[in-house]
This record gives sequence, C-alpha cells and structure tokens, in this order.
Amino acid sequence: MNLKISTATLLAFAPAILNAQSAGAPPDLTGVWGIYRGGPGSDPKFHPPAPSPPVLKPEYDKPYQDKRARESEAAKRGEQLDNSSARCVPYGVPTMMSIAIYPIEIIQNPKQVTIISEAFSEVRRVYMDRPQWKLEDVAPGYYGRSVGHWEGDTLVVDTIGIKPTVSGYRGIPHSPQMRVTDRIRLISPEILHDQITIDDPVVLEKPATYTLAFKRMPADYEMVEFVCDNNREYVDENGIVRLKLHDK
Amino acid sequence: MNHLHPIRTKLRGLSMLAAALFALASPAWAHHSFTMFDMTKRITLAGSVTSFEWTNPHAYIEIDVPDEKGAVKHWSIELGSPSILMQSGWKFSSIHAGDKVTLIINPLKSGQNGGFLSQATLTDGKVLFNGPRQEPPPAPTQK
Repeated sequence: MNLKISTATLLAFAPAILNAQSAGAPPDLTGVWGIYRGGPGSDPKFHPPAPSPPVLKPEYDKPYQDKRARESEAAKRGEQLDNSSARCVPYGVPTMMSIAIYPIEIIQNPKQVTIISEAFSEVRRVYMDRPQWKLEDVAPGYYGRSVGHWEGDTLVVDTIGIKPTVSGYRGIPHSPQMRVTDRIRLISPEILHDQITIDDPVVLEKPATYTLAFKRMPADYEMVEFVCDNNREYVDENGIVRLKLHDK
Repeated sequence: MNHLHPIRTKLRGLSMLAAALFALASPAWAHHSFTMFDMTKRITLAGSVTSFEWTNPHAYIEIDVPDEKGAVKHWSIELGSPSILMQSGWKFSSIHAGDKVTLIINPLKSGQNGGFLSQATLTDGKVLFNGPRQEPPPAPTQK
C-alpha cells in the first residue's frame, strides 16, 4: 500500500518535477527542418517578420545596381551571366541556411550545434560557450568560425571569417569584416525561426536583417547526399552560362 | 508512329504562372535560374531512354526520339536534383536505359536538343513531375 501511494504521489508531482528540471535547460533544436510555407489558414504568428532591406554604401551600391542591370538585360535576351551557381560551388554562410526547398538538419549537444544543409551537404559547426577569435586569426572561407550561446530560449550564433568571394545575401557584396548573427528560436514545437543579421561596416550603411521560417520534417526523414559531380553548365567566352549536351 | 512526333505547344499563361510560383517558392534556387530554357513553350518527346543519371546538381534523362521519318534525334533533358525529385515520388530506379517514356519539357532557347523536364510518363503509365507542387511561402509579417 505504501508503495502504491508513493507511486501515485510521484506521478502526480512528475510534471512539476520535470518542469523544474528543464527550467534552465535550453530547448532541443535537434531534427530536420524544411522551409515553412504557411498556406491558407496558417497561423500568422508562425510567419517570418518582414526583412529590413540591405542599404549599401554609395561606393558599393552603384556597382551592385550596375551588375543587377546587366543581369536583367541579359535575362531579357534569354541569357544568364556567369555566377557561382554555374560553377556548382557551395553557398556558405548565411545563404546555405535556405536553398530552394532543401531542408537543414540540426544536431545539438551542449558543446556543439551542427547545422547541415541538404543542398551541397554544407556543414556549419557552432562551438558553444567558447570565445570568438579575432578576425585576423580566422582563415577566410565559406563557413568562417561560428560560436554560440543561449540567451533564454534563443540560440545566438556569431560567425566571422566569410571570404568576399562567397555569394552573399541577395547577391550583395561583402567585405572580410562581415559579421553574421543568427538568433534561432522555437516558435512552437514544430516551427523554428532563424533571424539573421548581417553587419558589414565596410559595405552596409546599417545592419540588414531577415528571418527564415522552418517546419519540422517527419521524424523518419533521412537527409539526402549532394555531391556536385555532374555539373553540365559552363561559362562560354562571352561570360554566358551554357548547358553541355550529350550526343547519345 | 504519330505519337512519337515532337509536338510543339504553347501554354504561355499556365507556364508563366508555374514559373512565377516556383520563383516565389525558392529563397535561393539551388543551382541556376531557368533563363536558358523557354518556360513559355512545351514540347512532348516520346522515345527510348539511353541513360538516367541520378546525380547532382541535376538528374538527367538521355533519350533517343524518332522523328516523323523515323530518323532518331538525341535529347538531353535536365531534371531537378535527387533530393528535390524524391519529394515528388522519384527514385534512383524510376527509369532505366531502354525504357519507353513520354516527356513534356521546356526546350532550350538556343534551339539545341535539350530542355528542362516538366513531367514524365513512365513505361507503366505513372506520371511524375519535376519537383513537388506546392503553395508559395507566407508573406512576411509587417511589424
């Protein structure tokens, strides 16, 4: 009888005990996340807030607008100008977080959060509760160096060291001084938001911010490999992207 | 042999709408824009597959298509990537060399024998599309 009472008592208090244990624990973001599309009747609170458009400094804005105009003119002629996608190189930070309809996978443990994009199998390693290095100590690359910490229920990720040749948000240029901050948070157990802020004191007048919304994929979803070993696009002598055709 | 003829059709309105929806649905296209393809034209190709390449950044169907005189022309047809195709029911083994299939494609603007797949009718009659049909993402919330 005593045992029965104590079991019942434990069960009655179990939710309170679990809550007390998890009060200081960060949420678990582990899982595969696809782009959230909302759709008719979807809850507006799940929709991402509107982005703040990037404002470039005049010396960078003019070449950027000229490039956009050249691309637009080429598109009217039915041509695509040379770009990184024709060479099939990865997107890097921050663009890799949202490529077409490819999902991302998050694997979280207390020391490291690993983010893998299905497109190009890109990997971003976020080292938790470690200091960020000085910029001059980070080898410039596609993913730079990312460190993270929790602010309440929000995973805050600081990334530096993205080299300027890596394709930027909306194709805008960026300098070696670019700093990317991700603020990743569960809006509900099934919906994740990543608010991305790009701060580049060389190129931008002020930081640009945009938010991505993700929906949890089914628990049995298995990530698909992506190795770019059959790229048939090439850039011709006039800088136009062409497609190699096979004879048979 | 009539069903083997390439049939040129213009479905300008529908195709433009489909392209616009796809563009909306893509925060950044995985590989390239559709600029080199004429998304306002659709051609039907019926023929014999010479190879099905389940590769990145795109899958390809290589296909021999007889014309009205029986002369065979070879076409290279681009698809989405394996992971995009898997989201609309494709497998690496959906098509084999030697299969007789019917493809509806958006042709290259250059006039060469290449294009971007719209839909495929397989040997068993199953119809597969070049990626999932979906709603565009929600409009960002103004704050």
